[in-house]
Formats: sequence, structure tokens, C-alpha cells
Amino acid sequence: MTMHSSTAEPVGPASWEGGVSPFGISWQKLMMWFFLVTDALLFAGFLAGYGFVRLANPMWPDRTHVFSLTFIGFMTFVLITSSATMATAVGAAQRGNLKLARTVVLLTALGGLTFLGCQAREWTNLIMDGARLSTNPWGVPAFSAFFFMITGFHGTHVLIGVTILTILALRLGRGRSSAAGVELAGLYWHFVDLVWVFIFTCFYLI
Amino acid sequence: MVNPMRYRTYWISWGALLALTLVMLLTETAPLYHAIALGLLVIAMLVKATVIVAWFMHMRFERAALVVSVVGATVLTAVVLFALIAPDGVAVLRHTAAQ
Repeated sequence: MTMHSSTAEPVGPASWEGGVSPFGISWQKLMMWFFLVTDALLFAGFLAGYGFVRLANPMWPDRTHVFSLTFIGFMTFVLITSSATMATAVGAAQRGNLKLARTVVLLTALGGLTFLGCQAREWTNLIMDGARLSTNPWGVPAFSAFFFMITGFHGTHVLIGVTILTILALRLGRGRSSAAGVELAGLYWHFVDLVWVFIFTCFYLI
Repeated sequence: MVNPMRYRTYWISWGALLALTLVMLLTETAPLYHAIALGLLVIAMLVKATVIVAWFMHMRFERAALVVSVVGATVLTAVVLFALIAPDGVAVLRHTAAQ
């Protein structure tokens, strides 16, 4: 890792001797990272449980029969692109261009809404096929239980992210948010994309 | 003020993530040995995660203390969690197969 610091704080053993943050970031950013660690472990718990049930079950539905992987691929594309626009917003804000940052933050929120719309369509399709929390037509009841739980929790996180981004855009428009605020929202949004990387692989592909 | 990354870096990362996603979808539908497909998917997943954490979330430029505390701790905990649970899953599979 590079050793340059964003402020005039000491780097190396001196940074652990008190008076400065050894992590070299603001307390707000540090707390956001600690929150993301806890949230990551929430999804790690879900996926570990899912891994257990997959290992224990000799049979599992063929995902290519249940889902359209092209559509899921499109959802992944939308979320990845929204992450890129979010990073652009952070970059713009750090360069002092809060107007551009606001526009791109709204674009990111739109990406999130698109993803949620797609996920709603997926849920509707599955429910119309007969999938419920306790049963489904593909022979393994746990399959739909995990689907709704995991994608439900992830979708809720996306919705919370869209809400945060909308509020951020409003505040940027009024000059009440700074580049630091955009960066914090950016960390949350990238986390949501990161979780989808794992869900997409473990639940839809493997 | 933090030195902002170049916009270009973000969009190169975007391209890499899309390419990896495409590879994963092709791996899923291609006629490969299950173990090879599984290995490819897991590796692609980990590379995507690394790109997001390192560049989008800026960890590439943060202090080692932060990287170890956040990424190291999370990965270690998740790996240990899975390693403690997975053998029971296999045991259940063997138990139901034996009956």
C-alpha cells in the first residue's frame, strides 16, 4: 500500500502514539467502513447458510430454467454502471464541481431504481410461477426461501441507497453537502454493488 | 484534500467488471467440467470484488492499517464462518445419502 497521507499526519509507528488517527481518514469515513464491515458479515452469514444448504442438498433447481440469465446479466450491468457513475460523482465533488456531482448522483439513483424495477419483475415472475417462502414448483423448498430472503435484503439495501442518494442530491443542490458527504454515500453504494457480485455468483451461477 | 483519481480509472474499472461478468455468464452456459467452471466463477467473483474495493472504494490508496482492519478482518471472519459450517453440510449430505 502507498504510504502518503491525505493530511500532514505522521505515517508509520508515530501514527500510533496518540493525538492522530492511525487510519488516516476522518471519523465519519472510518465509521462508515465499520458499518460496512457489519453489513458485509450480515450477507456473509446469509451466504454461509446458503452454502450449507447447497452442500447438504443433492438436488438443486437448474437456474437457467428458473431465471433468464440474460436479464440477470442486464441487472448486473445496471448496478456496475451505477457504481461507475457514483465514482464519477465522488471525483467531481473532490474537484469542487458540486453541480456535476449532483447530476451524476441523480443518475446513479436512477440506476438503482432501474435495478429495483428489474428485481420487482423477477419477484413477480417467480411468485406467478408459484414460488413462496415455504414452497416452490422446482422441488427444493429452501431454494425460494433463500431467493426471497437474500434478494429481499439486498433490494432493501438498494432502496436505502437510492433514498440516501436522493437526499444527497437535494442537499448538494442547496449547498448543504460537501465532497466528504458524496464520498460516504459512494462507499455505501459501492458496497451494495459488491454484495451483488457475491449474490450473483453464488446464487444465480454456482 | 484527497488527490482525486482520474475519471479514466473509474471507467477502465467499469469495463473490466463488465468483461468479467460476460466471462462468468459464458462460463455458466458453456459445456465445461463442473470443477473448472466453479473455479473460473469463483476467481472472476474475487477479481471483481477486488476491483470494486481497491479502486471504486479507494482502498488501493488508503493506509495499510485501514486495509487490514476492514478488508482483512471481514474476509477472515467470512472465511472462518464458512469453513466452520461447510463440513456440516457435507456431513448432512452423506448422512441422507446413506439412509
